Amino acid sequence: MEVIRGPVAKRDIDQMAENLFHECLRILGGLRRLVEYGRLTWLPSLAEAAYVILLKEEMLKTSREIAETLGITEQTVKNILRSDVEAVRRYLEGEMEKVDEHIAGGIAKMAYEKMKRERGVFIKEGELEALGVGWAMDVIKRLRDATFPLNPEELRERLKGVRIDGGSAEELVERLEKPIESMEELLRELRRLAEDR
Amino acid sequence: MEKAFKELGELEGEAPKLFGVSTGTKLDEMFWKIVEEDGRFVKKPLGGIPYLSVLNVTGVPDSGKSVLAEQFALKQADAGYKVLYITVESPASFLYTSMRAKASYLGADFERVERNIVVIDASQSDELREDPKALMDTMAYAIREKGTRNVVIDSITGLYEHREVMARQIVRMFFNFLKRWRQTGIFISQKRSAQASDTAEAAGGLAVAHIVDGSIVLDKVLIDNAWKSKLYGLPVGSVLRTIRIDGCRLTGHDTRAWVFEITEAGTIKIISPLSEFIGRRG
Repeated sequence: MEVIRGPVAKRDIDQMAENLFHECLRILGGLRRLVEYGRLTWLPSLAEAAYVILLKEEMLKTSREIAETLGITEQTVKNILRSDVEAVRRYLEGEMEKVDEHIAGGIAKMAYEKMKRERGVFIKEGELEALGVGWAMDVIKRLRDATFPLNPEELRERLKGVRIDGGSAEELVERLEKPIESMEELLRELRRLAEDR
Repeated sequence: MEKAFKELGELEGEAPKLFGVSTGTKLDEMFWKIVEEDGRFVKKPLGGIPYLSVLNVTGVPDSGKSVLAEQFALKQADAGYKVLYITVESPASFLYTSMRAKASYLGADFERVERNIVVIDASQSDELREDPKALMDTMAYAIREKGTRNVVIDSITGLYEHREVMARQIVRMFFNFLKRWRQTGIFISQKRSAQASDTAEAAGGLAVAHIVDGSIVLDKVLIDNAWKSKLYGLPVGSVLRTIRIDGCRLTGHDTRAWVFEITEAGTIKIISPLSEFIGRRG
């Protein structure tokens, strides 16, 4: 009788919380934007909200358990979980002057939905190299803050010097036949063109 | 965008076939289907619990839930079908001992049984017990890599100890998981109160019985007075055990309470409907 005595894959909630926290920052336009708007005080609330959302959605913890784990009140946990994402989004976009919701909670929920949609996994650079797609990390890093669709000129500029399977990325960008709508599409197209080369 | 509805006819290809997955007990004859023969509709035993169903097996402590689940796993494994057994309460080594004794009594080939049962021991791993998604990842690995067809979780209630407010959410997640991976499943669900002990009412949390495809309720009556002794024809101090299918939305089934016994070798032997058992004694 084969016995499996532990989880096949470790789920690192702390790492996930850090990733979610970073996603929250990206939604807000980055740390610099918070500095500009004098909102650095939001950071502890965002970290707290990121943990609350993950403990609820990924670990299925109750509000009381979450409150005990994080050392906050159960009411704060409930406010974060009940935050209306749409209202917070409208507030952030300037459509509303005030919002009667837990703002960090709304942002963390938005970020979590985005992470879930994109099904991101944490993978180290060395592991990508071992898979033969280390170039993908270079492309992602160069385009981290880019807005899609990207025009070919900007793409060429940003990918200057990147090597894909021994060839130049710029040369592949020249051969792109249509506007690129997303990072996934760009990586797929670059791979296809590199294989054809 | 993928369309969010289907016409009934479109589902024909993906609808599961209706046949039984044997439990190695008389329960196999208590589920049935209606077939047309020579222009007449006749009732045919299914030969087991419905294929791809997910059933709750519930009852008060010591009512025989785990015994039934083990017998089901043993029967399937002996027939050559892989079983994934998630033990949440009792360590895997105890399950091994119990299975070996039962196999010998039931004349099963224990080498084959051993080969066909994969155990996830969540009883000794806080991470597997406390983190349902980690457990599901591990189950997915076992189902995919080992090719299991049946799943037993003993017990599903052990996955939400001290937080019954999450019961429905957790049961639904595991129910959907088994459907997605096309497994026939048994959830052992502990009934924490003897109130309405012969029903699935509040078994393993409020209204969880509505989520699964059906419930099998095991119960026991302690013969503790002369009246019960006379009614059941059993000596004072003995125990009468009953088993009943408390609803199944996938197929027709017997609705009566049946008397059963747990044999000395720890197997389930269903004897007769309770009404006949009492009548025979009378």
